[in-house]
Amino acid sequence: MKCAEVHPDLATFVLGGLEPEEAAEIRHHLDSCPDCQSELQELRKVNRALEAAPPPAAPPAYLKGEILSRVRAEWLPPSSKAGATEASSSLEEQRRSHRTSRFNRFKDLRIVLPSAAAAALVAVMALGVFFGFLREEPPVATIQLIPTPQEAAGLKGYWGVAEIRPQPSGNQQVELKLNNFDEPETNSYYELRFVSGDKRISAGSFTSVGKGETRVLLNVPPEASNYHTLLITEERVGKGPAPGREVALEGDMP
Amino acid sequence: MTQRADEPSDEQLMTNVDGPGVEVALSKLYDRYSRTVFGVGLKILSDRSMAEELVQEVFLKVWRSARTFDSSRGSFSTWLYRVTRSVALDLYRKRARRVRPVSDGDPHLDSARDPSAGPQEVVDESWLSWQVSRALEVLDAPHREVIDLAYFGGLSQREISERTGMPLGTVKTRTASAYKSLRKELAVQDTSLEATR
Repeated sequence: MKCAEVHPDLATFVLGGLEPEEAAEIRHHLDSCPDCQSELQELRKVNRALEAAPPPAAPPAYLKGEILSRVRAEWLPPSSKAGATEASSSLEEQRRSHRTSRFNRFKDLRIVLPSAAAAALVAVMALGVFFGFLREEPPVATIQLIPTPQEAAGLKGYWGVAEIRPQPSGNQQVELKLNNFDEPETNSYYELRFVSGDKRISAGSFTSVGKGETRVLLNVPPEASNYHTLLITEERVGKGPAPGREVALEGDMP
Repeated sequence: MTQRADEPSDEQLMTNVDGPGVEVALSKLYDRYSRTVFGVGLKILSDRSMAEELVQEVFLKVWRSARTFDSSRGSFSTWLYRVTRSVALDLYRKRARRVRPVSDGDPHLDSARDPSAGPQEVVDESWLSWQVSRALEVLDAPHREVIDLAYFGGLSQREISERTGMPLGTVKTRTASAYKSLRKELAVQDTSLEATR
């Protein structure tokens, strides 16, 4: 065998992908060819480097959208900022008119759907038809969870969403993703509620890790599909089944 | 993802990340580097959800810290590696304070990391992983395919030929060509090692 015939097969030889008789011919040639031996050493270096290769895996497709959404939410061009401020004031006024304090917020809850401008501000992102019949990921709805003004004052770098996924059982899975959401106070915990008028369905309770991202999976029964407002309330241990009054976060279905 | 010659360089995109073109620029950088960040994250953290968190944090940091990137001090890839290493180490330490994750049988995770290695050791090894990942990412699709099937899939050249329908000679030629590209790319990247120190 000549070098010109051996060279194209050396990489395959290093990989161990040649048939036994082909590999034997290569080995025979290598025994007497320093140039090909040298080439072989270089290719083996590549092979050793490949051992350090990370697994050939890609991040989930939704991640890019999440990152760009966060950038969009945090970065607004100057022209949008003016509109956003105006909308923010409008929303703030609406909210103020509906609550006198954080503690009676739940009792006084009347708003369900804000105005169009406010809806733009809260940036509710519909990724599909809410509570459709899809059984697989991605979520059919992503709801931005907005802190109440009282809660917002103490939060830095917060963002949060609730992702809704219908389950084969008919229940709805809710995945909460909350970043830099404060831990509840001592002897307290958070509860996620679906609200429609005076009716409420609890999706379960949880705590948060404070700094960093908290991820929680909860489930609600199928009838929650008609409850269009989400509230996260802070509850105190030992207060019984009465609904919580300290609303920390809220969001509306698209 | 292979970068076409007529596309903006990473460094050009970084100038747009700090301005109105942020979404397009960040999106392109994500397409080019997210697999590498995620793969190296899996290697370091051995935890898929934390590797996802890493990807998110890294690209948000790219956006927020765009002004600190100075192309005269090194390539974007090297800078991004340093960002990734830093965030991964933070996540590794954060996880160390929690319960140790149990492998769920995911082959990507099972092969990802020696569990006896310490955090600094694992993170230090990640530079080579990064280099190899980048070298693989710049291969075009046909060459990447033969390497994936041969090295990661463990298929012989004949099996690759049967699976893809490529003539055996083409498989061999592409393998040789892919190794040549990897060798060249790794040599280029090795020269930027000092920039990571």
